[in-house]
Formats: sequence, structure tokens, C-alpha cells
Amino acid sequence: MKQCIACGMPMKNPEDFAMGDSAKEYCRYCSRPDGTMQSYDEKLNSLTTFIIKTQGLEEKAANLAAKSMMTKLPAWKRQSPI
Amino acid sequence: MLKNKRQQQKNLTRKHLLEIAIKQFGETGILATRTADIAKHANVSHGTVFAHFSTQEDLLTAAVEEFGSQITQRLHELIDTNSSLSKILDAHITGLIEFEPFYTRLIIERRLLPANVTNTYVMIQSTISFHIGIAAQKELDQGIVRKLPVHLLYNTWIGLIHYYITNGDLFCSSGSVLKRYRHELLQHYIDLITI
Ligand SMILES: [Zn+2]
Repeated sequence: MKQCIACGMPMKNPEDFAMGDSAKEYCRYCSRPDGTMQSYDEKLNSLTTFIIKTQGLEEKAANLAAKSMMTKLPAWKRQSPI
Repeated sequence: MLKNKRQQQKNLTRKHLLEIAIKQFGETGILATRTADIAKHANVSHGTVFAHFSTQEDLLTAAVEEFGSQITQRLHELIDTNSSLSKILDAHITGLIEFEPFYTRLIIERRLLPANVTNTYVMIQSTISFHIGIAAQKELDQGIVRKLPVHLLYNTWIGLIHYYITNGDLFCSSGSVLKRYRHELLQHYIDLITI
């Protein structure tokens, strides 16, 4: 199964992909409304928000976890600064 | 062909090492386990461990990731087939039971472990919470469950489970505390959130 290069989510069904296009390497959560992939900062922001929303953690801890996760993903491997 | 076979063997050894590591961490504690113990129990040389994981921290992080991917994969499949909230929660407990000794050490020792482990742990909890939230949202729309913020819906559930796990010696002096209390805890939680 394909995995989103930007967040690691497994993509099985067409609707999991950006714009429902299973040729894409990234998922619907990692795409902008026009179908292009979010930038590093946009993804870091949305992942941080995701962690806060799902666990209620404070922003600092959520941001660290999001950054750390992004270093492991193909889309961000080179640019993650930590 | 030969290269494929070698890669396959390498993957098998890695998987085996992770299994042994998860078992050892669970039995003797994460901080108290030495890579030499893991090598011994896996019947490989100490060097082999480091051929697969460059540091002890890498091995531990990979072990946590292995736990996380197994548990979240299961929840993901259940969401895909439209399972009820109670089914998802039950699968969460089943997944935890499979890793119970390791998970117990992980939540008890976590603050003493490397930051990377905490970050991985946080992502796993968020992924689990996300899946539980999806199932809860469906039942919220049907008027079955109360409207609660996703984080409190999850924290109430995981808080209950963690309380029993971290005090497992008091609730269940031998065997699995989750196996013993799973039905009571699940039923109680469902009663709490049901309208
Ligand atoms: Zn994605």
C-alpha cells in the first residue's frame, strides 16, 4: 500500500489521495485546495494542530512531536532543521 | 535474486530483533535492558544488533514504532469497514494487550527515555485518538453519544486505561490487568459518553 510522503498516512482508496487521484504521492490531508502539496511550514502547523486537537497537549510538546515525525517522512527528510 | 534473498533475511532478522527487544523491555524494564541481553535472547552477536540499529535509542524507537503501526493499522481497518465506537475501543484494548508488558514499561518510564521516544509516543496516541474520534463523530451525528471535544473524549478513555495499567500491581497481582478489567472499563466508558 502507498503511504503519503508528507504525513505517512496509508492510502488505500482513491479518496485518500489528494484530489482523489491515486497517482499522487500525498494524501488529501496534505494537499491544498488546488491540489498541490502543502509546504513544510503549512504541514508542521497542521500536524501541530492535529496533535492539540486529538490530545489537548500544549503547543510546545505538540510542535516538537510534529517536527520529529516530519524528519522521518520522505517529503521532508532533507529540510527538517532539528 | 541473491540480493533479494539477502534483503529478505535482513528484514527477518530485524523483525526478530524487534520482537525480542519488545519482550525484553517488557520483562526487565526499558532502562534496565541492555542491548547485550537482547542479542543473547535473540541468539545473535552483539554486533548484529548494531548492524540493524545504530544505537540503543534507535532500537527502542523502532520498537515503539512497531507497536504503534500494529495498533493503528488495526484501527484503520475497522474505520474502513464502518465499525462502531465500541468495536474500535475494544480493538484498542486488544492491541494493547498484545503489547501489555512493553506498553506498561513505556508509560511508566517514558519521562526518563529519550525525547525521540516521547515524540513517537505522542504521534501514536494522536493517531489512535483520531480514529476513535471518527467513530465517535458518526455516533454523535446519530444522537447516540454526547458531544465532547475530541481530546477529552480520548483522554478520559486513555486516562482510565493508564490508571489501571500503571497500578496493575494493585488491581491484578498476576497476569494481564487489561484482560481482567477490559469489559468493565469498556462498559463504564460507553455508559459515560452515551446520552
Ligand atoms: Zn498526508
